Amino acid sequence: MKREVVITGMSLITSLGLSLEENWKNLCAGKSGITKITHFDVSQCATKIAAQVPSGFEALSKSHIRKRAAGQMTRVTRMGVTAAKMAVADSGIDFENLDRGRCSVIMGVVNTGNSSVEQGTTPQNTVFKSMTNSLPAWISLEYQLTGPNFAVNTACASSAYALAFGYEMIRDGQADVVIVGGADSIVNPEEIQGFNALYALSVANDPPERASKPFSKDRDGFVIGEGSGVMVLEEKTMAQNRGAHLYAEIAGYALTSEGYNIMAPMTDGEGMARTIHLALENAGVSINDIGYINAHGTSTELNDRYETMAIKKVFNEKAYQIPVSSSKSMLGHTIGASGAIEAIITALALERGIIPPTINYKDPDPDLDLDYVPNKAREKNILVALSNSFGFGGHNATIVMKK
Amino acid sequence: MAKITESTRKEVTEIVYNFFAEECEVDKSRIDNNTNIIKDLDGDSLMFLEMIEIFKKKYNLDIELKVIGKYAVKHPVATIGQLIDMQLLIIERENRLLELDNKN
Repeated sequence: MKREVVITGMSLITSLGLSLEENWKNLCAGKSGITKITHFDVSQCATKIAAQVPSGFEALSKSHIRKRAAGQMTRVTRMGVTAAKMAVADSGIDFENLDRGRCSVIMGVVNTGNSSVEQGTTPQNTVFKSMTNSLPAWISLEYQLTGPNFAVNTACASSAYALAFGYEMIRDGQADVVIVGGADSIVNPEEIQGFNALYALSVANDPPERASKPFSKDRDGFVIGEGSGVMVLEEKTMAQNRGAHLYAEIAGYALTSEGYNIMAPMTDGEGMARTIHLALENAGVSINDIGYINAHGTSTELNDRYETMAIKKVFNEKAYQIPVSSSKSMLGHTIGASGAIEAIITALALERGIIPPTINYKDPDPDLDLDYVPNKAREKNILVALSNSFGFGGHNATIVMKK
Repeated sequence: MAKITESTRKEVTEIVYNFFAEECEVDKSRIDNNTNIIKDLDGDSLMFLEMIEIFKKKYNLDIELKVIGKYAVKHPVATIGQLIDMQLLIIERENRLLELDNKN
């Protein structure tokens, strides 16, 4: 019999706060974390807004990471390590009581953030700051974990992939505990100009908090966000025996490739639909079980159109009864961290019976006609939920979670 | 070859103690020559390289890292005292450091 996998620790560092509870409160209040960019001079960029992590992060980071180690990390890596330490503390796990060889770390990392806005890079630390494996490595060093630790890069689906692999390791008996998540920031002029050149970013700079408007008629691209989300996954019986708090159970997943285009999703959401369908099958749940979908919902023309079509393909008429919301309306698109951040929000929605809204939903796109939980959080007892992540390159992931 | 005076030794000792106190966030009074860099201070091997850079600049030393690397393989450094002794040898001998081994 396969083992069951639960989430026993979680943490969030985003533009909406530096703790899980601060984030949850702001998400449920429908607040936006998107502001004018302060990290650098934006005069040469068409997009001048982003969802930046508050400056209080520096003090938080100092309280969790030794100065010596911090000097060898980028700000992004520090976000991930800080979030990991908060998630482990939240889980109550004491690694002294565990076989560290059966404890692993898997992180979604698209890049480490060693960009032109990174402070304090020197010839002595540039290699460490650039290593894409540095985030999982530092976390394993922190707790002297000797199970596998590695980074996954599947663009915007990276940390959803990390979660799926962590789930699989525990389920198959290769590990008892896996710390999974991701951290990212591409709030730098190179990335913004690059994404502007692809017409992927919103240029609705004023007011910033209105720019990310998934599923709306006037959506004009995604808004870059930064942050980190980390979860502690644990074998269910072990977690129950130590009296751990169980946020939610991971019930299954699907990872697919579209084999179609480096940027655009497959026409009419065919690849997305296949992913959702396979995830339901993998988890052994039916379309009637699903009570909420945390959408990838980027606020781009194609994603929101195709994701809506995909949900309709899988759920048919039932699609209209399932609340679908986009956390990116508030947090922007945190790229490599988004899969984990949104899985955490999905787990909280299951645990607490509240669905965070899609904000800025003022002018509905007539072609997109699902229930997007417009502008206000909603109370609903959910038993099973999905979290979708779709990345450039055709990397798709759907995670299924149970109460 | 530079002459190592008592004042040089004091200066090097002071720099090393201050560096480790600052980088490892420990009170300087906790450091002595028997302090183990890894076990007691949670230090790392990069600190050795950073110290070399500091002394290269301070004493305008003509020494290649590979020379120090070859010497360090045979004479590993674990404690603060051993590190100070090696830095003094580097200041004294610069690129002629390996001649010490050849003599032996």
